[in-house]
This record gives sequence, C-alpha cells and structure tokens, in this order.
Amino acid sequence: MSASYSKDELYARISDILQNTFDIDAEQITPQAQLGDDLDIDSIDAVDLIVQLKPIIGGNLKPEAFKTVRTVQDVVDALHEMLQASA
Amino acid sequence: MPARPFNHLWRVFATGLSFTTFGIGGVLLGLIAFPLLNLLVWQRQRRNRIARSLVRHSFGAFIQLMRVLGVLSYELHGVDRLQREGLLVLANHPTLIDVVFLGWLTPNADCVVKSALLRNPVMIGPVSATGYIVNASGPGLIADCVSSLRGGGNLLIFPEGTRSPPGGFGALQRGAANVAVRAPVDLTPVIITCNPPTLGKGGRWYRVPSRRFHIRIDVRPDLAVAPFLDGDSLDGTSPGMAARRLTEHLREYFEMELARARA
Repeated sequence: MSASYSKDELYARISDILQNTFDIDAEQITPQAQLGDDLDIDSIDAVDLIVQLKPIIGGNLKPEAFKTVRTVQDVVDALHEMLQASA
Repeated sequence: MPARPFNHLWRVFATGLSFTTFGIGGVLLGLIAFPLLNLLVWQRQRRNRIARSLVRHSFGAFIQLMRVLGVLSYELHGVDRLQREGLLVLANHPTLIDVVFLGWLTPNADCVVKSALLRNPVMIGPVSATGYIVNASGPGLIADCVSSLRGGGNLLIFPEGTRSPPGGFGALQRGAANVAVRAPVDLTPVIITCNPPTLGKGGRWYRVPSRRFHIRIDVRPDLAVAPFLDGDSLDGTSPGMAARRLTEHLREYFEMELARARA
C-alpha cells in the first residue's frame, strides 16, 4: 500500500469522509475542530469513520490508536504515524 | 399547607408504601425468584420469556396498587399496537413511572441496562434471567439491539437517554435511530404525559403533587424507516447520515406530538 500520502492528502480524505458519511458542512471542518463537541461525531460514528479509513492504510490500521484522538488533526497525525510505521 | 391536608398526607403515605412494596418485591424477586429461574430453566430463550413475563406482571401489580391507593390514575390509547414482535418502541420519559407502564404494556420487552447493575447482588439474577441488553460495549450495543429485535424482542428505548426536562423534550441521542436504520426496522412511538408532573429528574418521592397524578400513554402508529434509507436498504446512503436525518425527524415528531397531547 502506498505510504505516500502526505498529511495534506490525508486531511483532504478525512474531510471528504466527514462530509459524505455524516452530512457535515465543509466549512465546519477545520484541523482544530473537535470531533465530538464541534462535529457531533459519537461513538457509533467513530466506528464507521474507522471502517472508512481502513482502505487508506489497509491491514495496518490500529483502532486503539484512535482512543486518544480529539480533533481532525489528531486523526491525520494518527493515520500518518501508522503509515510511517508500516512503510 | 395543601388545601386538602388529609388527602395530601394520605398520598405521601401511599406513595411511600408503594415504593416500599416495589423495593421489597424487587429484592425478593431478585434474590429468590430470578436466581431460582436461572437454576431451573436452562434453555435461554424460554428462561428469558418467563423472566420477562414475571417482570411484566410485577409491574402491572405495582401500577394497580398505586391506582387502588389513589396515588395515580391513567388512560391508555393504542396499546394494541404493542401486541406484536420485534418492535423498536421509543418514548419520551417525563417520570420514573413510565418505564413501569411500558414494561407492563409491552409483551417480551427488552431494554438496555447499565453494566453497573451486574455488580448489584439484587440485580444480577433478574438481568441475567431476562437477558436484557447490558450497556457495556459502546458500539457493540447497536449490534446487540439489532439481534434482540430479530429474535422477536420488543426493545424499549428512551431516546433522550435520560428523563425529559420538565414540561419538555430533551436533546436526542442518535443510538435509537442507529438501531432503526441498521436493523432496519420501523419505529413505534409512544407519547407519555404526566399531569401534574411528578417523579421527574432530581425530584423527591415525598414531594407528591397537589393532586393525584394522571398518566396518559398514547401508542402512535409506526413511523416507517424506509424513507430515510434508499428504498428498503442502505445502498448509497450511509447509516450515519440516515441516523442523523431520522433523529432530526424524531425530534420534530415528538415535539409536535407532545405539544398536541398537552393542548
């Protein structure tokens, strides 16, 4: 799998997923936006989100790494780290 | 001082007596009846049915006790609609008592209970005998709810997640809508009003209302889930999106129906 995603590309993918899967307006999505408080992502949505992220990094996805994420940028960083680790 | 002091004092006494009976009955059932059932009936589905029926009739007896003692009166509308299987029943939650009413009126009722109850010695027996869904696993909870419905259980959910605010309707959680769109299953809404209000959140049991309280239970026609999906399934529409749209619809529905019921 390509470990070639830059952080910007990952951010764009996540932003797409948030808009298409959860009906979230593009202007609400910023790197600092809190998934829970600002974007209204609940624990059920979080599971859907992780399922959607799987194709990006294939079998190397570690769901437990998402336990500490709070913001959109945290998701980007967690994904980037997983890609680096598997590269 | 209340206008009719004797009536008021009687209802404080009768309310206390009712709750004491409920507590003692619960402890006896919890420590004797349900553990016996767990011991004697090994076939899980049969045990669940018997245990749920025991809960149902205990709740019915409790309501009749409170009615006879003059603590409450009630009226029921559309409750035939609960005589089916695999229903997802959603209700507003104005008082502590409405769970007892729904438990009485709904055959083979299933509900979600706090996992902390499994550490309470009185509750271990009933929770395991009834097979109620235990809220321990977060998202796994949705799958548990869906399989309960497929098994013919009638799942009771208060979609506000807690008691309704006084005279209103609280913010909706999306769990109930997620169960509906993922099962998928239609919704059976129940509009509950209590007049005068009592046993709300933070209320004390001995602060009895100015007169005997009246509970009105109105089971409404089913709300179809299909319009929130693409046809009958989720092709194209994500479950997260469908659950959001359905939750928004439920909020409007309950607010409108509650306003009508109070008018």
